Amino acid sequence: MEKILTKKSFPAWVKNLQSYTVYAPEKQENLWSYEVIQNPDKINLEYLNTVLAPKKITYPQREIFLQFNTSKEGKPQIKEVLPEEQPAVIFGVRPCDAKAITLTDKVFGEEPKDPYYWSRRNQTILVGLTCNPPPSPNCFCLSVGGSPHSKEGLDILMTDMGDKYHIDSLTKKGEKLIKAAENLFKPASPKDKKELEKIQRESEKKIKREIKDIKNIPDKLKDMFESPFWDEEAMSCIRCGICTYLCPTCYCFDITDELTSTLPLKGKRVRTWDTCQFPDFTMHSSGHNPRPDKASRLRQRILHKFQYHVENYQDYLCTGCGRCISLCPMGIDIIEILNKVRDYE
Amino acid sequence: MAEEFEPKIIAFLCKWCSSAGSDLAGVSRMKYPPNVVPITVMCSGSVSPLYIFNAFQKGADGVLVSGCHPGDCHYIKGNFYARRRIALVKELIEYIGLEPQRFKMSWVSAAEGKKYTKIIQDFVQELKPLGPQKKLRREK
Amino acid sequence: MVNLEEIKKEAKNILEEGKVKYIIGYAKSSNALMAAPTFVKKPEDIDKLIWDPTCFQNLVKFLLDEKRKKAREKEPDIRPVGIFVKGCDSRAINVLLQEKFITREDVYIIGLSCEDLGVLDEKKIFKKLKGEEPEKIEFDQRKNIVISTKEKTIKIPLKEILAERCLECTSSFPVISDVFWGDRNNRSPKEPFKSLEQIESLSQEKKWDFWQQQLSKCIRCYACRSVCPMCYCDECVVDSINLAITADTTAEEKSQKIKWIEKSPESSENFGYHLVRAMHLAGRCIDCSECERVCPVDIPLRLLNKKLEKVAKELFDYKAGLDPEQPSLVSSFKDEDPEDFIR
Repeated sequence: MEKILTKKSFPAWVKNLQSYTVYAPEKQENLWSYEVIQNPDKINLEYLNTVLAPKKITYPQREIFLQFNTSKEGKPQIKEVLPEEQPAVIFGVRPCDAKAITLTDKVFGEEPKDPYYWSRRNQTILVGLTCNPPPSPNCFCLSVGGSPHSKEGLDILMTDMGDKYHIDSLTKKGEKLIKAAENLFKPASPKDKKELEKIQRESEKKIKREIKDIKNIPDKLKDMFESPFWDEEAMSCIRCGICTYLCPTCYCFDITDELTSTLPLKGKRVRTWDTCQFPDFTMHSSGHNPRPDKASRLRQRILHKFQYHVENYQDYLCTGCGRCISLCPMGIDIIEILNKVRDYE
Repeated sequence: MAEEFEPKIIAFLCKWCSSAGSDLAGVSRMKYPPNVVPITVMCSGSVSPLYIFNAFQKGADGVLVSGCHPGDCHYIKGNFYARRRIALVKELIEYIGLEPQRFKMSWVSAAEGKKYTKIIQDFVQELKPLGPQKKLRREK
Repeated sequence: MVNLEEIKKEAKNILEEGKVKYIIGYAKSSNALMAAPTFVKKPEDIDKLIWDPTCFQNLVKFLLDEKRKKAREKEPDIRPVGIFVKGCDSRAINVLLQEKFITREDVYIIGLSCEDLGVLDEKKIFKKLKGEEPEKIEFDQRKNIVISTKEKTIKIPLKEILAERCLECTSSFPVISDVFWGDRNNRSPKEPFKSLEQIESLSQEKKWDFWQQQLSKCIRCYACRSVCPMCYCDECVVDSINLAITADTTAEEKSQKIKWIEKSPESSENFGYHLVRAMHLAGRCIDCSECERVCPVDIPLRLLNKKLEKVAKELFDYKAGLDPEQPSLVSSFKDEDPEDFIR
C-alpha cells in the first residue's frame, strides 16, 4: 500500500503511536544514535549513519537470562527473566540495517528458537528510510545484494520526496501503524510513483564503493584458509572489537554468571556481545587457543561473512553499511581486502 | 522513626602495624563503631587500586587504607610506595566526582589502638551525612 | 623541515643493507583524512611511505606484536625493526625501554619532528565540513589544509584543526632516535593542562554527572586498550578468563581466579574498567591520545589520563617517557612525597 505523508504531519503520526516505544536517530554531541523519542517534533530524519546499528535494540549488548538465589534451606532457586513485552517502533532504519536484522532472524530462528531474541523481535516494527544521499562514504550495499531503497526486513519504507514522504507499507505490522492515524495519509498518485522511481534510481548512483565480482569470492576463500595473505592483511590490526560490535550482522555472544553474593550464592546469568577479534573468544580451558594470532581472527571475520554464512544460509553476512571501514582506527578496509582476495594469485 | 543510615567501611589494614593496632583496640575493650569490615593485607603497599575500586563497586560507603608509620614498614619501604599510589587514587576519585571523604589513608602503629578507634569514629561521622554510596555500586 | 624524499632514501638504504627486518611507517588509506600503518619489507615498496599531519597512529603499538612474534619463533630474526616515531611516540619507546619490555637493539628509530604542528583531529575537521564528505586533501606549505568535497574546496589553517594534545605538547620532536628529521625546538605551551580546566572547575556532583554520562556510553570494544602502546599485559583485568593459563594450570586454580570486572557494559563495570586503566597508565601515559581518537562512541579518555599526568607532575615532579633510566612513578618514592592527606 503506497501513501503520501507531508513532512509537516509526520510528528502528528508519531504522536498517534503512544502505545509504542518510539526510537529514532538522535544526535548526541557529535554522534548519531537510536534513542527513545519523547518529543516527536524533534525527530530529524536527515541523519548520518548511527554508530551502533538498530541491532542494539533488537539484540541488546546485555540481557539477563535468569536470576538465581539460594533459599534458607540451601536449595537453589532459579527465575527466568524474559524481556518485558513492549511494542516498539524504530524510525529511520537504513535498508542495510533492516536486512541485517533479517540475517540475525535466521540465526536466532533456528530450532530451538531463542526466546529472548524473539520476544523482543516480534514486538518491534521497523520503519525504514531510503538512503538518498548515502549516509556514509563507505556504503557498498549494492555489492552485497542490497540497495539504498531495499524493502527487505522492513515493515514500512519511507522515501524523502522534498516536502513529503512516500510511505510504502509492506507488512501487516506496517498497516497497523498507518491505521493509527489514517487521516494523515493520502494515496500516492501515479506522478508520485514516477518521482519515487526517479529518486530510487538516483540513490543507487550515489553509492560510490563496490566489491567487484563478489560471486566468485566465497569459492576463492575456500582455498585461502592457509594463505599467508591473512598475515599480511592483519599486520595493522590491533584486535579491538570495533568492527564486530558496530557490525549490524555480527551476533556472537558470551554467557556469564554475575554474582552479587557468594554466600548465599546469588546472582544472574547474562548474555553479552562477544567478538571473534578478542583473544579469549576461542580460548580453551586447557590453555590452547586455536586462533592464537590476529591473522587467524581477521580471517575468521572475513570467512564467516563471505564463506561460512554463504554455505549455511546462502547469503553474505554483510549488508554493506560501511561502519567497520569508517571506524577502524587503523584504516583496515573490508572492500579492499575482498578486492585483493578476488585478484589473489 | 526512620533508622539512621549506618555506613559500611572496608578497611585494608597492614598485618604488621594497623591490623595489630585494631587488635589492640579490641583486646583493650575500647569502644568504636561496628561499621568497619577489616581486611588484613601483608602491607599497605600491596593494596592495589583495583581493591579500592572493587570495594566501592561492591557497595562500600567508605574505604580506608592503613599502614605503618613512615620508617616502620616491615618491608622497609612498602608504605612509601602506598603513599604515592594512594595519592593518585585519591586525586582520581575526586576528579570523577566521587565524594573525596569516602576514601582515607592513615598510619596506625601496633601501639595506636586509641588512634585507630578515633579514625573509625571520625570516618563514620563523616560518612553518615553523605548517605549510601551508589555511584560506583553495582546494581543488585 | 622534514623531507620525505630523504626519509625514503634512508628507508631504502637500511632495507637494502639488511640493517632492519622491516619498517613500520605510514601510507595512504581509503580515508583521505587518515593515514594507515604500513609495513615495508622490500626496498621497492618505499614509495608507499608518506609523512604528513594525517599520520595519527602511534606505531609503537606494533613493537609489542613484534616482541610476541619473536618469542614464538624458534630461530627468530634478531635484527631491529625500523619505525617512524613522532615526539609522543618516542616517549612511548622510552617507557617500554624503562620497563625493559623491549631493548634498544630491538628498534631502529626513524625520528620525525612535528615541528610547529602535530596531527589533525578528524572530529574538528568534520565540524568545519558540516556534514560534507572530504574527497581529496592537500597540504599547502604546512600552513593550510585544502579539502575538496563534492561541492566545494575549502582551505583551513592547520592550527585550527590540530589535535588537542598537539596544542598542549611540550616536546614535539622525538627524544630518542637513530636518525632524525626536522627541528628540535622545545615548545612551551602556556597552559599545558588547559583541557582539564573545564572539568576541574565543575562541582563534585557535576563532575560525576559528566563522567557518568561519558562512561555509560562505553561499549567495551576495548579499542582504547588495544591501541595503547602501554597496554601490553598478557592478561588484562577485564578479560573474562585467565589468558596466562598453561596446560598445567589446575581446574581449582582456574576456578579461584577472581573476576574483578564483569563483561556487561553497565555503569559500574565501565567505571571499574576505565579507572583501573587510568591508574595503570599513571606515570606511563605519554599523551599520544590514541585511546580518545579511536573510541567509536567519543569518550574523552584523554582527560582521564591527562589528569593523572598532571597530578604526577605537580605532586611528584614526574614526567613520563623523557628518560629511559629514571625509575618509574609508582615503583619509586621520595622522602618528601606529600602526605598531608594521611592521618
